[in-house]
Amino acid sequence: MNAFIEKKGIQFSFAWIFAIIVGAFIIFLAIYMSVKVVDTGGGATSAKVGKEIGILLNPLQTGFGESTSNLLTLPVETRIPNRCNSSGNFGIQTIQISQKNFGKWSATNLGLDFENKYIFSGTDVEGTDFFLFSKSFNFPFKVADVVYITSSEEKFCFVGAPESIDQELRELSQENIFLENCPADSVNVCFDSSQVSSEECGIEVRRSRKEVERDGRIVYFEDDALMYAAIFSDADIYECQVQRLMKRTSELLTVYGGKQDLLAQNGCYSNVDLNFFRESILSFRNSEDVFSVANDAKSVGKDNDAERCKLW
Amino acid sequence: MVDTRGQMKIQQMAFMLIAVTLLFVFVGIFFLKIILSDLNQSAEGLEEKNALLTVARLADSPEFSCGSSFGTSRSNCVDFDKVMSLSEIPERYSNFWGVEGISIQRIYPSVEGICTTGNYPDCGEINLFSDEGVGVSNFISLCRKSEQEEVCDVARITVYYGGDYE
Repeated sequence: MNAFIEKKGIQFSFAWIFAIIVGAFIIFLAIYMSVKVVDTGGGATSAKVGKEIGILLNPLQTGFGESTSNLLTLPVETRIPNRCNSSGNFGIQTIQISQKNFGKWSATNLGLDFENKYIFSGTDVEGTDFFLFSKSFNFPFKVADVVYITSSEEKFCFVGAPESIDQELRELSQENIFLENCPADSVNVCFDSSQVSSEECGIEVRRSRKEVERDGRIVYFEDDALMYAAIFSDADIYECQVQRLMKRTSELLTVYGGKQDLLAQNGCYSNVDLNFFRESILSFRNSEDVFSVANDAKSVGKDNDAERCKLW
Repeated sequence: MVDTRGQMKIQQMAFMLIAVTLLFVFVGIFFLKIILSDLNQSAEGLEEKNALLTVARLADSPEFSCGSSFGTSRSNCVDFDKVMSLSEIPERYSNFWGVEGISIQRIYPSVEGICTTGNYPDCGEINLFSDEGVGVSNFISLCRKSEQEEVCDVARITVYYGGDYE
């Protein structure tokens, strides 16, 4: 009798074990590289779309076009996070696009920086259709064209808007802004004269006090361009962009200062006190200071209008 | 005697696996090259588009435009005094428009020479930042004010973008 019990089993040769290990490694490497390439491709597409949006804002950003609305349609659902940084000479507007792929938002760290753009919107705007509405900001000279971005999925119902605002919005004909027959899911933008209770108002505009309350935070405005900015953007973005607008005003004052000297060399004198206005601008901390700076802007504007050699 | 048949098979397999790996790597590099080439073309195309849209509207931006300083608002009118003033502080605006450079040349009446504080306004060209790269141009009226009158000349504004993606 055989003392050993015969055992049946699968016998793997070294060649097979070697092939399986190396084969698994190659397949893992191939999958890993494919995922990386798809991720990089997604990031590159997002960066490209971000740059394209930035470029497409150029025609909105300059020119005499008062209150123009444009529709931007993207092929896939897109998130436009609005990032604003007020440091530096002009501050920075960052456009960092994220697009939905297979139900997941593509993560991208590729932010595109623009010094000459001022976008007022929520922190993150999502959708496929976006409305871009621009308006000129004058303080007292033209400083910039500010752009308001809203998604077609966000609806705004303007209640009790004064005649001038009502007229402007009707001419704008932006599909997500309603003046009557508002949809149930729209955000009520209530003006002083509206008879709507505060609880029903998502955004309250107190034009008599030049303030806008949104999400429990109050920001201050001076003209209609900043009023719309306060309505359509988050408080933090609003404060940052207003700070940037003040910085550009200050830089433009340097340009006008140089022009004043060149005019004087050619015998054309202007006595507008730009330094006084610059000091006022430099004292600007947040939107609460906008009234005092605006008074100085009006005063400088009147002085310039009275001059024979106008600076602006 | 040592059995060499098994060793041969292992060696064959190892060479085969190395060859397969190298094939994957080469195919990967080939596709990466195509993708990067597309990206370069896209970047160049976007730069060109940016320059074209910028030059079309630059004359009306606050740093260049005549505004209402010559009476009424004028489109495509550049204030010569403002641009000259801007040329004194180019470092502050170097990244502002996202282009390599901007230049303005007087076409009619034609005047020679780069503008400096010494020869202004009897000069023909102002360069902001740089005049290198690929340029796209637009025609403008270049206006300035003197004691007696306002003077407007025909000029060309050129925006330069970097065409160095290859």
